[in-house]
Amino acid sequence: MDLETQIRDYIVSEFLSGEDVPDLTDDFDLIENGVVDSLGLVRLISHISTTYAIPVDDLPLEPSNFRDIERICALIRQSPVAASG
Amino acid sequence: MPSSRLLGHLAEHAVNRSRSVALVCGDREVTYGELSGLAERYAAELTALGVTPDRPVCVPAHKSIDTIALLIACFSAGTSALVPSSELGPSALRTICEQARCSHVLTAGANGRPKWTVVDGAAPEGFEPVDPSRTKVMFTTSGSTGTPKIVPVPESAFDNFAEWATKQFALTADDVSLSYAPFNFDLSLLDVWVILRLGGRVVLVEPAASADGGRLRRLVADHGVTFVQGVPLLYRLLTEDETATFRTRTVVFTGEALPHRLLPRLVRAFPEARLYNVFGCTETNDSFIHEVDPATAGARIPIGRPVDGVEAVLIGDDGAVIEGPGTGELLVRTPFQTSGYVQSALNDKVFRPAPDGVGGPFYRTGDMATRSADGTFVLEGRRDFQVKVRGIRTNVLEVEAVLASHPEVEAAAVVAVPDDAAGHRLHAEVERKPGSGLTSLKLRGHGARTLPRHAIPSTIRIGDAPLPRTSTGKPDRKLIKETVMKG
Repeated sequence: MDLETQIRDYIVSEFLSGEDVPDLTDDFDLIENGVVDSLGLVRLISHISTTYAIPVDDLPLEPSNFRDIERICALIRQSPVAASG
Repeated sequence: MPSSRLLGHLAEHAVNRSRSVALVCGDREVTYGELSGLAERYAAELTALGVTPDRPVCVPAHKSIDTIALLIACFSAGTSALVPSSELGPSALRTICEQARCSHVLTAGANGRPKWTVVDGAAPEGFEPVDPSRTKVMFTTSGSTGTPKIVPVPESAFDNFAEWATKQFALTADDVSLSYAPFNFDLSLLDVWVILRLGGRVVLVEPAASADGGRLRRLVADHGVTFVQGVPLLYRLLTEDETATFRTRTVVFTGEALPHRLLPRLVRAFPEARLYNVFGCTETNDSFIHEVDPATAGARIPIGRPVDGVEAVLIGDDGAVIEGPGTGELLVRTPFQTSGYVQSALNDKVFRPAPDGVGGPFYRTGDMATRSADGTFVLEGRRDFQVKVRGIRTNVLEVEAVLASHPEVEAAAVVAVPDDAAGHRLHAEVERKPGSGLTSLKLRGHGARTLPRHAIPSTIRIGDAPLPRTSTGKPDRKLIKETVMKG
């Protein structure tokens, strides 16, 4: 499963009560549309950190970096740990 | 901030306490001397930008040391500052800037250099200008339909409040406060500005740490925080580690009712603290206080009695003042209250002349309260469909109306479901028009254009089946809520 699908599946199950729709594109703004709120962001960050073994300290915590699936994936790919692994 | 006298105190601290730490944020600390220097650099930039006392500026409430310095610079320049949420959408931000007649939107950059945009729209009719010589700060309420109401806080209101709070909590220059609420909340008047006025130390909680119990606990412990004020969510996070204890002297909970089961956890985590339940509104600031004795506290913690100088009346359904014990809508008049919304037409609805005709107006809190025989008050909940979502007052009917305004929506019902973390979360049950392929994400997009983020329902269930209805044909909110709560 590619990274985009993994992140998408996580968002669908965790934040959208399992409702998967074509509207959830890789550039759909999760924060502006209230899918991920500030508490949700903490859950998302913790999930990324655990699943992809990226120390939280290495993640830029600015909400804008988690705005959409595309940016979340880019962030994971940029991480030195994930890149080497 | 909010007053010339505060600026006088800050100028003294810059000399007498120049090496004492004023603000802590992340790894950064600034002393009163440094804060004064930083504010002066911003002040010079403001002059260069052409900011004058004639028109206010808008300073979105980004949680940073630089925002505080920028605000001090604005006040020193004699300019009022409108301080809205930093999460406000661009169109709502533009609207309130025009309503308040702001000349610029300013964001604190690094090294005393603000980022700015010019506001070019004219003020619509019916919005009164504030007098910058009397009012240095304007907060906003969280209007759930997207345009917040602008609430000016007069200098005298802040000075009165600072004197009350200092005396009530015996605050001194030795106090260290935790600034958990965003700067656009009236809570910041106490946990930031009163503390700075005294020469104490303020520890800022950045947004990334605000839901992170571990980081919050480290902030309180590592910085020796003596004064904590916040919504129940903060205390849930601070007390979730059963081994953590703090030497905090004063614990104030406010914003919404404290869940009873939190009380024993508070006592364990804050063994040396006095605990207070405080009730207030943006329009009036703190109005009631109750010191909680955990040994005798019942399931419902009272809001207690009006604080010094505050008057409270209860109004019954018939509009008459209730004397003695009874339940009615709570109206308050405080020495800390706003001079009235900038949109003057709104004032008639919520500010009422004193029942005895003496003195200034009373504010209708919209809350029902019961006064017991001994004179203490207990809150009974909102008079209408307002609930608090993450500490922000939200009207579920207004959210419903926004969702229902989508052309492909047949009917929508929004319910508030109690939530341990957020106080309440909103759930929307939506029936789409026959043949429509509307999805919850599309509807979210529609909602996000008009609603502030906290008011976008956490969950939206959309389908073709008709909404459950009561015998009178209204959406059966009770049934919907029960179904959601069962999961």
